Amino acid sequence: MSLLEGFKFRSKDTRIHKLDPRTKFIVVLVYTVLSLIFFEVIPLLIIFVSTIFLLYLAKSLGEWKKTMKGMIYFLIIIFILNFISIPENKFDYSLAMVLRFSVLTSIFSFFFLTTTPDELALAIEASGIPRDYSLMFTMSLRFVPTLAKDLQTIIDALRSRGLELEKGGIIKRVKNYTYVLIPLIVYEIRRSLMIAEALEARGYGAASKITPYYQLRMKRIDYFVSIGVLIVGLIVVLLKVKGLLPSLFYTRLFSI
Amino acid sequence: MANKENVIETKNLYFAYEGNKYILKNINLQIKRGEIIAILGENGAGKTTLIKHFNGLLKPSKGEVYILGKNTKESSVAELSRHVGIVFQNPDHQIFSETVEKEIEFAMRNFGFDKSYIKERVEWALRLMGLEKYRNRSPYTLSIGERKRLTLAAVLSYDPDILILDEPTAGQDFLQKERIAEMMNLLRHRQKTVIMVTHDIEFIVNRVERIIILAKGEILYDGDKREVLTNLQLLKKARLLPPQITQIAWLLQDNNIEVPTNILYIEELLNELLHLCKKVGLDESARRIQV
Amino acid sequence: MENIVELENVYFRYSGSDEYALENITFKARRGEYILITGPSGCGKSTLTRVLNGLIPNFYEGELKGKIKVAGLDVRETPAYIMAKHVGTVFQDPENQLFLSTVEREIAFGLENLGFPRGEMRKKVENILKMFGLQELRNRAPFELSGGQQQKVAIASIIALQPEILILDEPTANLDPLSAEEVLSLVDKLVKELSMLAIVIEHRLEIALKYSTRMIIMDKGKIIADGNPREVILKDEAKRVGIPKVVEVYRRLSLEGVRLRSVPLSPSEFVTFFLEEVMSNGK
Repeated sequence: MSLLEGFKFRSKDTRIHKLDPRTKFIVVLVYTVLSLIFFEVIPLLIIFVSTIFLLYLAKSLGEWKKTMKGMIYFLIIIFILNFISIPENKFDYSLAMVLRFSVLTSIFSFFFLTTTPDELALAIEASGIPRDYSLMFTMSLRFVPTLAKDLQTIIDALRSRGLELEKGGIIKRVKNYTYVLIPLIVYEIRRSLMIAEALEARGYGAASKITPYYQLRMKRIDYFVSIGVLIVGLIVVLLKVKGLLPSLFYTRLFSI
Repeated sequence: MANKENVIETKNLYFAYEGNKYILKNINLQIKRGEIIAILGENGAGKTTLIKHFNGLLKPSKGEVYILGKNTKESSVAELSRHVGIVFQNPDHQIFSETVEKEIEFAMRNFGFDKSYIKERVEWALRLMGLEKYRNRSPYTLSIGERKRLTLAAVLSYDPDILILDEPTAGQDFLQKERIAEMMNLLRHRQKTVIMVTHDIEFIVNRVERIIILAKGEILYDGDKREVLTNLQLLKKARLLPPQITQIAWLLQDNNIEVPTNILYIEELLNELLHLCKKVGLDESARRIQV
Repeated sequence: MENIVELENVYFRYSGSDEYALENITFKARRGEYILITGPSGCGKSTLTRVLNGLIPNFYEGELKGKIKVAGLDVRETPAYIMAKHVGTVFQDPENQLFLSTVEREIAFGLENLGFPRGEMRKKVENILKMFGLQELRNRAPFELSGGQQQKVAIASIIALQPEILILDEPTANLDPLSAEEVLSLVDKLVKELSMLAIVIEHRLEIALKYSTRMIIMDKGKIIADGNPREVILKDEAKRVGIPKVVEVYRRLSLEGVRLRSVPLSPSEFVTFFLEEVMSNGK
């Protein structure tokens, strides 16, 4: 699953890693909007190159490359599907769609590579979403490896009672795998009841106003970057809407 | 090739999930039919990883494992399970059927047994584990202890030659442990090979003959139970405590009392203690005089 | 010292059940006690602790009758999360009671829930980390820790809330013997240093007995024995919970006319008492 390499946090010493997650999220938001308002190759190419630059600043090109490599087949499919479905300007448009997808993947990769799940949870809380939801998010992440272990244990236990998962036709094997579902679901429901009990016993819900133990603080550079990016984004959107962008941007590259 | 006498044989077994981080190193074991063995060691020493090699759930990274003469790399888990029954620690990881009866049948149906034979074996297993009155109930309505008995019944029902129990007494109360002990006696009678992975020293004191201690993936000791359970240094390495009777013997030694330290059983200790008491005049007659 | 727990004639039935899970329970306790509760599976041990921490009736529904006063509160009128300020509960499986990504966060979690201001939280967390020797583990993820360490973190997270009463429901079930010793001896230290009331449900009597100041045996929803562990362990009722070998040796010696000064609850106590007898009667 090297495809996921570009979305797992890695601790590195860069300015980007030190930015507040909310700042980075604003960057992601602006890039997403920009990538959606353009349908032409040249502007999307410019945006794409700038995301690579961001990843370079975050010293995370290696992990990003792994994800992009894993995406190759997907990108080819996007190209082909667009190519065969639009009536004219095929090559340019399909290439533009591939670029748009790459920008979206890359900017989210940029976000997740430089933000810890905890920071993300804090950002969610700080943005006013009720504690119940941000806690749900944090705990889901925390329990993913636990669930994976449970699944493996259940598979082991059923295989040990003769459930054939190695040999046989594909239909039979898929059917056999479904035997795993019931113990897994029941087990995890039981587990969540026990977790709920433990939460009650830890006083969850006692105070209506919570002061979080950790606090996110926006520094000067955070304000600088987020406001800067918002302004640039706004300008570009306005220019596009008013048709004031240089015609160079709309150059058609291919005649197909 | 494997020696035909051994029901389980491992040769230079090494295992790692990835790369060179070996969880098991150089494991060489020969287990004969009818042996009752305990595998001890602290959490993370590799005990569960080792037993998963005995039914093919894991295949060696280096070396070989032979079960009843068959190389595990050449068989599927389903095939090996026919002869090796593993009962895992947590019953809730294994139970999923609508009724207790169906739960017990599951393995036998997978093995393709004859319908009438299955019926016979289910009856036998229900009776053995005292679950007859629950036969049509959902397993989830049973208590934890009863669910544990159910997983035992489900594995015993198809009569595997080798039975492996992963922490059978963990979380069990006294009466439940007695039941498990009875079942082990039965298995011994029927000359089954039984392997227990456990922490419960008191339970195994008079129920196994051979003990294998794993530490950091290697076999620290493999042999006679008396030698193991009375060797304080060895047990300490494996983060285990000796049986209470043995602890008493060692403490007496520490206090300069001449008592053999390889004592395991209450009778042996009593003999020594009463002997001591007689020596200092502390027996029944002396008591009566003093009172 | 007065009682911090007072239960009188308490009955409880889980909804949908015909049988009483707790039948005519009268139970009083004060701070500084280390109470061991044992009994066959299903006897009502966990149910009893749920009446103390408020999970009954707030989490488990049913019919609850009788006089109940825990830290001055009645669980029928107090939500479980308020009871949590006075009664901390540590469950069997550490996996389900460690919710967050680091040890430090986990310890702060309960304090957050109770609405403490940040400065106070930081101070308390530092104290707890020191008290439990967890400073070096503060940034580790709970699932990276051993079972014994996890239980330690769970206990630390509860003690951070400074409850007067600590309940532990089979805390050593998944632990190896040495870790089990560490956990139960840690509880003993807390009882003595913080003058807490500890209620420990355990089957592993060989480990738990020596720390307890009081032993209760339950069966089928009733309390069938309650008192000094050295007396209770000799009763007939104790036969169904298993008598540690050390006590069995004491018994057999008594039958042979050798009576030790008291019932030993551990091998070292046994040796101490035995040597006393030998010395005092020796030539």
